[in-house]
Amino acid sequence: MTVGPTAFMALAGVLFCIGLFGALTKKSAVMVLMSLELMTNAVNLNLVAISRFMTPASMAGQFAAAFNIVVAAAEIGLGLALVLALYRLRKTVELDRIDRLKG
Amino acid sequence: MWIVLIPLLPALAFAVMVPMSRRARTAARWLPLAAMSGSLLLSFAAFAKTWPGGAQEPVWRASTLLTTLGGAPLSVGMRLDPVTAVMLLVVTVVGVCVQVYSLGYMHRDARQGWYFAVLALFSAAMLLLVLAGDFLLLYMSWEVMGLCSYLLIGFWHEQDAPRRASIKAFLTTRVGDVGFAIGLAAMWSYAHSFDFTVVLQNTAWTVGAATLVSLGLLAGAMGKSAQVPLHVWLPDAMAGPTPASALIHAATMVAAGVYLVARALPLFHAAAPWVLVFVMFVGASTSAVGGILAMVQYDIKKVLAYSTISQLGYMFIALGAGSEVAALFHLTTHAFFKSLLFLGAGVIIHATHTQDIREMGGLGKTMPWTTGTFLFGALALSGVFPFSGFWSKDDILMTLWTQGTWYSLATLVVALVVAAITAFYMTRVAIRVFAGRACSLARETHLDMIVPMAVLAGITAVIGFASPAFAGFLGEVKGWPDLGMAIVGSLAATAGIGVGVWIYAFGGVDTQELRRRFPRVTAVVDNGFYFDLTYNRGLVAAFGWLAGVLARFDTSAIDGVVNGAARAWSASSRAMWEFDGSVVDGAVNGVGALVKRAGDRMRTMQAGRVQGYQRLGYAGLLAMITLAVLVPYIGVAAASGLALVALIVVGAIVVRGA
Amino acid sequence: MPDSVAVVPFVILAALAVGGGAMMVLTRNVVHAAFWLLEVMMAVAGLFMLLSAGFLALIQMMVYAGAVSVLVLFTVMLTLRRREDAERSLDLSWSAGLIALGVFVAVGAAIASFVPPAVVAPAVTPGVAEFGRALFTERALPFEIASVVLLIALVGAVWWAGGDDR
Repeated sequence: MTVGPTAFMALAGVLFCIGLFGALTKKSAVMVLMSLELMTNAVNLNLVAISRFMTPASMAGQFAAAFNIVVAAAEIGLGLALVLALYRLRKTVELDRIDRLKG
Repeated sequence: MWIVLIPLLPALAFAVMVPMSRRARTAARWLPLAAMSGSLLLSFAAFAKTWPGGAQEPVWRASTLLTTLGGAPLSVGMRLDPVTAVMLLVVTVVGVCVQVYSLGYMHRDARQGWYFAVLALFSAAMLLLVLAGDFLLLYMSWEVMGLCSYLLIGFWHEQDAPRRASIKAFLTTRVGDVGFAIGLAAMWSYAHSFDFTVVLQNTAWTVGAATLVSLGLLAGAMGKSAQVPLHVWLPDAMAGPTPASALIHAATMVAAGVYLVARALPLFHAAAPWVLVFVMFVGASTSAVGGILAMVQYDIKKVLAYSTISQLGYMFIALGAGSEVAALFHLTTHAFFKSLLFLGAGVIIHATHTQDIREMGGLGKTMPWTTGTFLFGALALSGVFPFSGFWSKDDILMTLWTQGTWYSLATLVVALVVAAITAFYMTRVAIRVFAGRACSLARETHLDMIVPMAVLAGITAVIGFASPAFAGFLGEVKGWPDLGMAIVGSLAATAGIGVGVWIYAFGGVDTQELRRRFPRVTAVVDNGFYFDLTYNRGLVAAFGWLAGVLARFDTSAIDGVVNGAARAWSASSRAMWEFDGSVVDGAVNGVGALVKRAGDRMRTMQAGRVQGYQRLGYAGLLAMITLAVLVPYIGVAAASGLALVALIVVGAIVVRGA
Repeated sequence: MPDSVAVVPFVILAALAVGGGAMMVLTRNVVHAAFWLLEVMMAVAGLFMLLSAGFLALIQMMVYAGAVSVLVLFTVMLTLRRREDAERSLDLSWSAGLIALGVFVAVGAAIASFVPPAVVAPAVTPGVAEFGRALFTERALPFEIASVVLLIALVGAVWWAGGDDR
């Protein structure tokens, strides 16, 4: 028994939505960043899977996923640096305490 | 291909300077000057390539295809023709002079590197604008110039006035630019091209389409060239550094509107006849308003700013009369003498540490070079033979006279009056600043600032004699000025100067007494014909009111409705209490409390928490997806209704959750 | 190269990934959540292997399992003052759940209507060698750009996270 691209897409969708849920709910900035990583991973999985089944010879999706990993690594590095800076400034990483945008 | 280098050199200078540190940028402040000098040399070469001119066809063109839009190719390109060659020379000569002058003027400013970088970007945009071979590229560089203007007006952004002035300039010109963009869209939908040759020569325009497009272009030109009623930004723009005012807000950028209309003049001819009359009317009213307001200003830069508005109005008069040659010649002469005046004003402001002409005086003895060059500019602006202003003004007056319609003759009268007014206020400034009691502090400036002024003064003195050659170069046969019109024009100038000398040198009239005796007129001119006040009361206040209403709705109105409802309910319930006591009362309080809680919840939507906004964003995305998916099945109205319901439901839950 | 993958390893890895993701969101302890994230990363690396993307599986392990997890744990350590601070409320929310569910319904509907096209699979599975060759020839420019992005992110991270003395 084997599975095709649809199963991978569904898996990626589930992972993405779990990450989205976490990013929308978690009050801790670190947890939000971790959820974002989960979403990125879901996207990477999707890219690789679709590339594997649609354009197996050119590996286009693998390259896209590789660069996505680069961007995600940069993002998490900057994000965590921001969290640290925020922590120094406000002594908290709780997103619901950070409401400077309040209108 | 070397022509591309003309705008590219200053652009490269800007690109090199942007990533630098503040100190490195200050060290590299000569870089834009070097780039502009290169552009100047290349502009001379371009001029030589165009010589002897006369033909309308470009001597060089290049274009690159961007994409195809609706089946028609969309390309941007550059072209070199006589008009461009002349404009290139004007921009580069004034630009180099201003750059040299700025090196001396700005040398104490800590952020001068940024100033020079933006000046370079501005020069690049202006050169690209005059080299543009289509309206799209022109519009692009037009907007870049607007950005530079904004940056330079607000250069000293730590002060309040420049910051406000820069925003005002940006917003006011934006009003015109919206018209410009609409005009461009209309142009594309009708002609399927932006290219000058295609749009202006190869397209058979219907009157309606041409009217629409030309009115759009005119709106953009009116914003950029500070025509009534969009002139209000230019006097405030004087908050920027004086050399920047000289280059941008006197010589080049504000003239871009004139250049645009001059370029598109065939389109205006194809439009309904009243469009050109309207252009003339705009020009006449602008020149009158600018001239009158220039007479009553005490700030030397404001005098020059209103004078610029007035002279730009003059150019629009020429355009309205259908003569782009007269308009462009006045543009050229004005660029030289007005930038000269601004540079002189900068020296004077530096020397006296004030901008108020009432606090100046006697500079003629201590600052001979500045006085001499400034007087050259003042005489040219007043239209005194043989200075350049005389020739170009005479051109415009003669154009009006030969057109011979009743409105052109009426405009001629206005133009003559404005000429007299111009001579009058320049006399006023000259006497107030240079004559009288000597100001002990003032000292002559350094050579590096005198030389650019002297160069501009030299050009101002002789360029008028090029009038027939200029017309010939642009492809129009014109002789020397008509003696009768020259005498009439000179009489107007002489009258203005005479009245000025009589009032300010001999004290013929006590101006303060005049102000006292006509309080209403004084109030009108002091408030600049109430343009600013009208905008503030009308538009700004309306927007402020709207914003206030929305803010109240956000924070308190919902609460207010809730409380009001609760209070109304409880009031009525108190009346009913006598009938059935606590049953109704309880229900009422329940409803009131419910609605009040809903209001409190709604308030949290603006809580400033990033995840709340994130959720709303995703809810909106979902609503859009729903819309996109469902539209083919159940139609636009039903799908948008469903999407709205979904959005409201999710939004309500978001609010609850937050 | 076969045109589909075996179902047994897929189901195992998928269960590990989804279960780990759910545990990450549902655990109360931030440190535990970081380890659950690590577990998901490793499951995804396994899925990459299953998809014959060996190189990606490798960098997935190195970047995520190695670097990112350590970074996350360090940040948790630096922003928690007491051991008890790691225990947090679950922060569950109906609206977020509804939105995530809505997104999943939308994505699921798109997947359900997806018909995989017929693709001729190459005889030989392209491996790390082909990947590397393409990375340094036809995709050299994005590769270099990626390195610049990383450099800038590095500088930015140091700048933001740097000392108080600026």
